[in-house]
Amino acid sequence: MAELGPVTCAGCGLLCDDVTVEDTHDGVRLTPRCGLGAEWFAQRRRGADGAPAATIDGESVDVEFALARAAELLRGARRPLLDGFDHATIEDARAAVALADRVGALMSTGVAAGPWPGAPALPLRGASTATLGEIRDRSRVVVIWREDPVTSHPRLLERLRVSGHRALVVVDDRETSTAERADLRLSWGRERDLEALTSLQVLQRGLGLPPGDLAADLTGLMERWGSVPHAAVVYGPALTAGAGGQRRALALYELVRALNHGRHVVTLELPRAPGCRSADDVLAWQSGYGGHVDFATGHPELVTATRPLDDVDVTLLVEPAPGAVAEIALGGVAAGPDVQVWIRTAPAGTVHRLDGVPLPLQPAEPDDAPTAADVLTRLLAAAEVDP
Amino acid sequence: MTEIRISGGAVHDPANDVDGDVRDVCLRDGKVVDDVGPGARRIDARGMVVMPGGVDIHAHIAGPKVNSARKLSPDDRRDDPLDRSEILRSGTGGLVPSTFATGYRYSLLGYTTVVEAAAPPLAARHVLSELRDTPMIDKAFLILMGNNQVLFELIRESRGAGGAAGGRVRDAIAWWLDATGGYGVKLVNPGGVELWKQNNGVVESLDDEVAGFGVTPRQVLEAIGGAVDELGLPHPVHIHANNLGVPGNADTTLDTMRTLSGRQAHFAHVQFHSYGGKPGGLPRSRAPELIEYLGEHPEITADVGQVMFGPAMTMTADAHVSAVLRDLDGGKWLNHDTEVETGCGIVPYAYRAGNYVHALQWGIGLELFLLGKDPWQVMLSTDHPNGGSFLSYPKLIRLLMDRAFREDQMGRANQKAIRRTALLDGLDREYTLNEIAIITRAAPARRLGLRHKGHLGVGADADVTIYHDLTDREEMFATPRYVIKDGEVAVEEGELRRSGDGVLLSSRAGFDPEVSRALEPLFGDRYTVAFEHYPVRDPALREPAHVVEAGA
Repeated sequence: MAELGPVTCAGCGLLCDDVTVEDTHDGVRLTPRCGLGAEWFAQRRRGADGAPAATIDGESVDVEFALARAAELLRGARRPLLDGFDHATIEDARAAVALADRVGALMSTGVAAGPWPGAPALPLRGASTATLGEIRDRSRVVVIWREDPVTSHPRLLERLRVSGHRALVVVDDRETSTAERADLRLSWGRERDLEALTSLQVLQRGLGLPPGDLAADLTGLMERWGSVPHAAVVYGPALTAGAGGQRRALALYELVRALNHGRHVVTLELPRAPGCRSADDVLAWQSGYGGHVDFATGHPELVTATRPLDDVDVTLLVEPAPGAVAEIALGGVAAGPDVQVWIRTAPAGTVHRLDGVPLPLQPAEPDDAPTAADVLTRLLAAAEVDP
Repeated sequence: MTEIRISGGAVHDPANDVDGDVRDVCLRDGKVVDDVGPGARRIDARGMVVMPGGVDIHAHIAGPKVNSARKLSPDDRRDDPLDRSEILRSGTGGLVPSTFATGYRYSLLGYTTVVEAAAPPLAARHVLSELRDTPMIDKAFLILMGNNQVLFELIRESRGAGGAAGGRVRDAIAWWLDATGGYGVKLVNPGGVELWKQNNGVVESLDDEVAGFGVTPRQVLEAIGGAVDELGLPHPVHIHANNLGVPGNADTTLDTMRTLSGRQAHFAHVQFHSYGGKPGGLPRSRAPELIEYLGEHPEITADVGQVMFGPAMTMTADAHVSAVLRDLDGGKWLNHDTEVETGCGIVPYAYRAGNYVHALQWGIGLELFLLGKDPWQVMLSTDHPNGGSFLSYPKLIRLLMDRAFREDQMGRANQKAIRRTALLDGLDREYTLNEIAIITRAAPARRLGLRHKGHLGVGADADVTIYHDLTDREEMFATPRYVIKDGEVAVEEGELRRSGDGVLLSSRAGFDPEVSRALEPLFGDRYTVAFEHYPVRDPALREPAHVVEAGA
C-alpha cells in the first residue's frame, strides 16, 4: 500500500478524515500519529491478506454457500436479533434495518454499553450538542466526565485544541492519561455522579451550597463555568451505561440546560464504538426510533424496558467488534447445536462522526470482500425466497 | 410502455388556464401526452376533480434536525404505527414520521414533490441518505447559507471590491450547490444564528454587525440574494427573515423585502413574520401591510406557514427561537450547533385555540391567504411540522374553501385575538378549486422552476391527483381517489398500490473552478472536515437525479 490520504480512519468515533496512511516494515504509520488508528488500518490490512472469505463453524467455505446457510438460519428463526454495528456504515445500517423489518427481528444499535437494552435520557428532556468545530472554536472550558479520551479517542483533545487558554476539567477518580492533563481534577467516585450533578443544578439555581464533602469541588467547577461564555461537557458510557445511567444522563442534560441561561454550553457524547452513531441515526429515520427496536409485530416498537433475550434463537452481528472489524457473524444462540456463519466484509460508504457529521469512508486498499450492506442485501433477498 | 387515459374529469390546471373543463388527460411513459392508444388503461374520472400532483415548497422532512426530532419524541409515534406489507416498509407516523411513512403519507395526500427547506450543507450526505429512504415523491433540499462564516469572509472581501470579488460569492454558492446536490439557497435569520452561537445574541436591526466578521444581515441578504439572482438558479433565494415570532417583526420583514427590492425572492412561513406590537409585548396582526406590499412587488412570493390548532414540532435553524420556546414552555428542548454554517433548535409545542397568541397566529395565516389578491404569490404551507403536520393540509384547504366552516372555527378561537385580525371585517372569500390548485401545486412548481411539474400540459411529468368532488373539502383532499406518480397508479381509494423511489431534484450553475483555491484555506481554518471530503460525489447518494440547469 503506497501512501494514501487524506482518508477517513474508523479506529474510533472521531472518524478523523485528515489521515495519511503509509506502510512500514512493521505495520502501518499514520499521520497524524494515532495508535488506535494505526491498529484499525493494520487490521484492515490483515483482513485483506489471506483471511477466508467465509466460514461455517470455522471451516472455510465460499461466500455463496455461507449466504445460503445464513439465509436458511434466518428463515427458520423464531426470534432473530440484529446486533453489533461497532463499525457499521450508513449503507450497512440501511440494509440491516431493511432486513430486520422484513424478518421481524429485534435490532439494537449498541448506542449504550452495559445491560441491554437501557433507556436513553434524550427523549425525556432533550440536550444541547455541537459539532467538534463549534467546541474547538468557542468553548473555553472543556469538562471530561469520567471518560479517558486520550486512550479511547486519542486525537480528541488535539482536535478540540484543549490547551493554553482553554481549561480542561476532568471528573474521574481513576488515574487516566486524560486526568494527567487536567487543569482541574475532581475525584469523586462514579457512585456519586448523580449526587454531584443534582447538586450542581442546585448551585446553578442559586439555592445555596449543598452540604457534604463535594461542596468545594462543585463550587470550583461552577466558578469555572460561570467565568466563560462557552463551555462543553464530554461524556460517554461511563456516565450513561448500567444501572442508573438514564438518571445520570438526565441530570447532566438538566444541568446543561440550566447553564444555558446567560452562556452557551453544549455536550459531546463519546460513543461506545465508531459505528454506533451511524447505525442509530439510520434506525431512527427508518423506524422513527433510535436505540433498540422490535419489528416482530410488523411495525417498529421501541424497546425501553429490560426484556430477557432468552427467546432469541438467531443472532446476526454486523461489523461486530474492534477486534474483528470486518465481518458479519450469524449463528444460533439458543440451546441446541449452534451454527456459526461468518462472512468477511470490507467497510466502505458513509459514516456519521460522533457529533453527527457525515463523512466518506473509503476502502483503505483494494479488497475483494463485499461490504456488509452487500451481504445484508443479498441475505434479505435470499431470506424472502422459500427454499 | 404504460399508457393511461383519465377520462371525463373536471380538470384544474391553472398553469394552462384550464379551470374545471371536462376533458381527458393522457399519460405515457411518465409524461403527459396529447393522446394514447386504444389499449391504454382508462380511469373513469367522471364527477371527479383532476389536478397535477401536489408540490410542497416548504417542509422539513429529512436531515439531522428532523432525525433528532424523531429521537426526541418517541411517544409522538407510539400510537401511530405503519405495518410493513409485501410492497411497503414499516414505519411510524406522528408529527415527524419515519422516512418511509413520510413518503407514503405525502403520496396518500396527493403530493408528488416535496422540498426539505433547511439543510446544513455539511450534513448533505445525511440529508441525501434520508431522502433516498423517502419513497414515492420527488424531493429537493435547500442549503443553509445565511450564517456561513466562509461566505461572510467572501462577502466582506467583496464589499467595495467590485465585480471580481462579488463574483467570488456567486461562484462559491454555485460550488456549494454542486458539492451538496442542493436545489436552492436558504437564508435563516441571516447573521443572527451566528450571533446566537457567539453569545446568545439576536439581530435587532438589519444593520447590526455580526461580531468578528464585519458584515451585517443586510449585506448578507444583498450579497447572497443578488448572487442567486445573477446565477439564475431555478428557485430564488428562500428567506426565513430575522426576528421570527417577535412582536413588531413586520418592520424587519418589510425591511428585508425592501433590501431585496427588484430581485426575485421567496419568503418562508411569512405568518411568523407578520406581527405588530413591541418586543416583549402582545403581538397584533400586520398581515394586511405585508399583503399590500406583496401585491405591489410581484418579484416576491411567500408561503404562509399556517399554524393549526393542536400539536406541532418546532424545528428550526433559528436556534434562538427554540430557546425562547424552551423558556416559555418548559418542556423538551434540543439544541445543536453546526460549525461554520448554522444552528438548530427543536421544541415540541402545541397551538391552543383559546390562547391569544396562538389564535392570533392562526388568524394571521388566514388573513394572508384571504387578503392576498394573487394566489400565485401566496402558497400553502404549515412549515411542516412547525405550524402543524402536512396531514393537516386538507383541513386548511377546507378553512379556505368553506366560509361557514371557517366561521365556526373562528368562533372556537380566542375572540380577543380574532377581533384583532381582519377576519371579522366581512372577509367572506372562499377559495375556488382552481385557486387551491394554484397554491398547492401550480405556484410552488413555477416558483421552484420545475417546468415539468405543477401542470398537465403536454410534456409535463405524469404526476396527477384525482379527487372525489365532495362537499366536505377536508375529506375530499384527505383521501384522493387516485394518485398517479410518473405515469403509474400509486394510490387508489386511500391505499398505496405500489412503491416507488422518486428522484432527487438538484440544480446546477456554472462557476469558475478557481473558486476552490479561495475556499480551501478558508475551509481549513474553520471546518473540522477535510476540504477533499466535503463535496458529495457518491453516485449512490446523488443519483438518480433530475438536474435543473441555472438560467434554463
